[in-house]
Amino acid sequence: MTEALLEISELSKSFGGVRAVSGCTFAVPEGQVVGLIGPNGAGKSTVVDLVSGFGRPDSGTITFAGQTLVGKPPDVISRLGLIRTFQTPREWRNLTVMDNVMLARRNFGNEGLWRCMTRARTIRRQEESDRAAVREILDRFQLTELKNELAVRLSGGQKRLLEFARIAAAEPRLIILDEPMGGVNPVLGARIGEAVGQFARDGRTVIVVEHNLPFIEKTCDQVVVMDLGEVIAQGPFAGLRDNPRVVDAYLGMDLGHG
Amino acid sequence: MYWVSVFTEAGIFAILALGLDMVWGWGGDFDLAFYGYLALGSYMTFVLTIGKPTPPVKYIIGWHLPVVVAMLVAVVVVVALAAVIGSIALRNLREIYFAVTTLGAVSALYVLVENYTPLFDGYNGVYGLINPGQTTLRLTYNGYRIVLLGVVLFILFLAYLLVQRLSRSPYGRMLRAVREDERAAAAYGRKVFLAKYRSYLFGAALAGLAGGLFAIFISAFNPSAWTPQELLVIYAAILVGGRGNPRGVIVGVFVVYVGLIELTRFLPSPASRPDFSPALRQVLIGLMIILVLKFRPAGIFRERPGRDEPSRPTRPLARPFRARVVAAASGATVLPGGRLGSESAGLPARARHDGAPDEGAAP
Repeated sequence: MTEALLEISELSKSFGGVRAVSGCTFAVPEGQVVGLIGPNGAGKSTVVDLVSGFGRPDSGTITFAGQTLVGKPPDVISRLGLIRTFQTPREWRNLTVMDNVMLARRNFGNEGLWRCMTRARTIRRQEESDRAAVREILDRFQLTELKNELAVRLSGGQKRLLEFARIAAAEPRLIILDEPMGGVNPVLGARIGEAVGQFARDGRTVIVVEHNLPFIEKTCDQVVVMDLGEVIAQGPFAGLRDNPRVVDAYLGMDLGHG
Repeated sequence: MYWVSVFTEAGIFAILALGLDMVWGWGGDFDLAFYGYLALGSYMTFVLTIGKPTPPVKYIIGWHLPVVVAMLVAVVVVVALAAVIGSIALRNLREIYFAVTTLGAVSALYVLVENYTPLFDGYNGVYGLINPGQTTLRLTYNGYRIVLLGVVLFILFLAYLLVQRLSRSPYGRMLRAVREDERAAAAYGRKVFLAKYRSYLFGAALAGLAGGLFAIFISAFNPSAWTPQELLVIYAAILVGGRGNPRGVIVGVFVVYVGLIELTRFLPSPASRPDFSPALRQVLIGLMIILVLKFRPAGIFRERPGRDEPSRPTRPLARPFRARVVAAASGATVLPGGRLGSESAGLPARARHDGAPDEGAAP
C-alpha cells in the first residue's frame, strides 16, 4: 500500500442534536480510487463537506499531503490540490462552457484587479495557452460544439460531463466526487466510469461517494463503508459481502447486484 | 444650455452606474449605499475647496485645495468608507440581507449628516464651488458649462474603457463565476469575499469620482439632493441598458435620464396639479422596467458571454509547442505529429447526444 494522501482521524460533527459524523476514521492511499458508501444519513456528505472546508468539525483531524485541513477555508483547501463536486452539478450557469472550464484552469495569477487593468495584453497572450488546453479537454468530453453555449442551456447529462471537464482542467491531486451517478443513464454512466479511470491513470487520487454499487465495484480499488456517522468497514469490495455489519447496514441488500 | 446640463448630469450618473454595475451586474449584490458614496464624494470635494466656513455656517476641514486634488482626496475618503461598509456587508450577507445592511448604513449616515451640523452644516448643506477654474481658463459661464460636459464625457469614456477591459478580463470572469455560484467558486479556489470586496471598492471609487464631478456640476449640496430613491433610478437604467454590460449601462443611463425624465418635461402639466409631470415620470420608469423585463429581460445590450472565437475544427493539426506541453500535462496523449488522440480519454467515440436527460435510470 502506498502512503496515505488523506488521513481522517476521529472526526465528529453534530448539527443540533444530530450526530452526523462521530469518530470517523479512515485513510485514502495516494493514487487509489476509493468508494465511500453507506445508507442515507450515514454521514458521507458531511465528511466530504468537512474535508473540503465547507464545514468545521467539532473534533478530529484531517490531514492532506501532510497538511492539516481543519480550520482552512474551502478556497485554501482547493488551492492545495483538492477538488470536490456537489450532489447536483454546480456549473456557473450564465457563463459559457468555455469560461466554465477556463475558470477551472485556476490561473489565479491573472485574476488580480490591478493586473487585469494594466497588463491586459500579456494576460491575453498567456490565456491563449490555457485556451488550447481547454479545447483539448472539451474535445475529450465531447463538449466542443457546445463551448460557446451558456452552461444553463446544457442537459443534465452534459452538465455532468462539464463537471468532469472542469476537474480535468483543474488537474487536482485529490478528487472527491459526491454522487456522480445521480440521475445518470447507463451510457453516460459508462463514460463517467471511464473518466474516473482516466483520472486514476493520470495518477490522481479519487474518492467516490455513491449509492450505485456496481459502479463502485467496477471503478474502486477499495471501499469505505459508513453507517450512523462512523466507519464500519474498509477494504476491497469483494470482502464486504461477508461482513455482517455491512449487510445489516444495507438492510440485507444483495451487494452482488446492487 | 439646458441640454448641456442634462447630458452632463447623465454623464455623471453613468460613471456612478458603471461602478454600481460592477457590484450588482457582475457581483450580483444589490447595494443601496452607492448614492451615499456619491454624496460623500460631493461633500468632501466641497469642504476641501471652498475654504473656511463663515459663521453661523459650520463644516469640517475648510481647505482651499485645487479642485482636482480635492476630488482625488474625496475618492480616497469614499473608498475608505466603502471599505468599512463592504467589510461588514459583503462577508456573509447576500441578497436582501446585503441590501438592507447597505441601506441601513447609508441611512444612518444620512441622518448623521442632517442632524450633526458641524459635519456638513446639516440640512443647509454646503455650497460655493462655482465653476472652479473658470477665470484661469478665461471662459464665459456658458463656455465653462460646455467644457465641463466635455470633461465629464471624457472621464466617462476613460472609465468605460477601464471597466470594459476589466469586464472581459479573467477578473471579470472570476467575479461573474462568484455571482453564479459561490460555493462552486470556492471549491475551485476562489476567495469569494476578496473577489467581491475588490469590485466593491473599485465601484465606490467611481461613485466618489462621480460625486466630485457632481459637486462642480451643481455647486451646492445638501441632504435633500441625495436620497436612496435616486439610486433606484440608476438601477432602472442599468436594467434597461443591460446588466453586466458596460456599454449597455451607459446607454441605459442616457435613455432613462435624457429620454424619459427630460422628455416628460414637455408634457402639458395641468395648472391645478403641478406634480403631475414628476408623478408621471415615476410611472413611466416603472412601466419601462416592466416592459424591459417582459420583452428583453437582459436589457438593450445583454451581458457578453466569453466566447471562444473563431470556432475552430475540433482537432487542429498544428499546435504551438507550448500548447502541446500543456495538453500533455492535462492528461491527453500527444500522438506523433502533434495530434491529440481523442481516444486518449478512454471515452467511447459514441455520440454527442447521449450525454442526455436525467430520466435515464441508473442501473
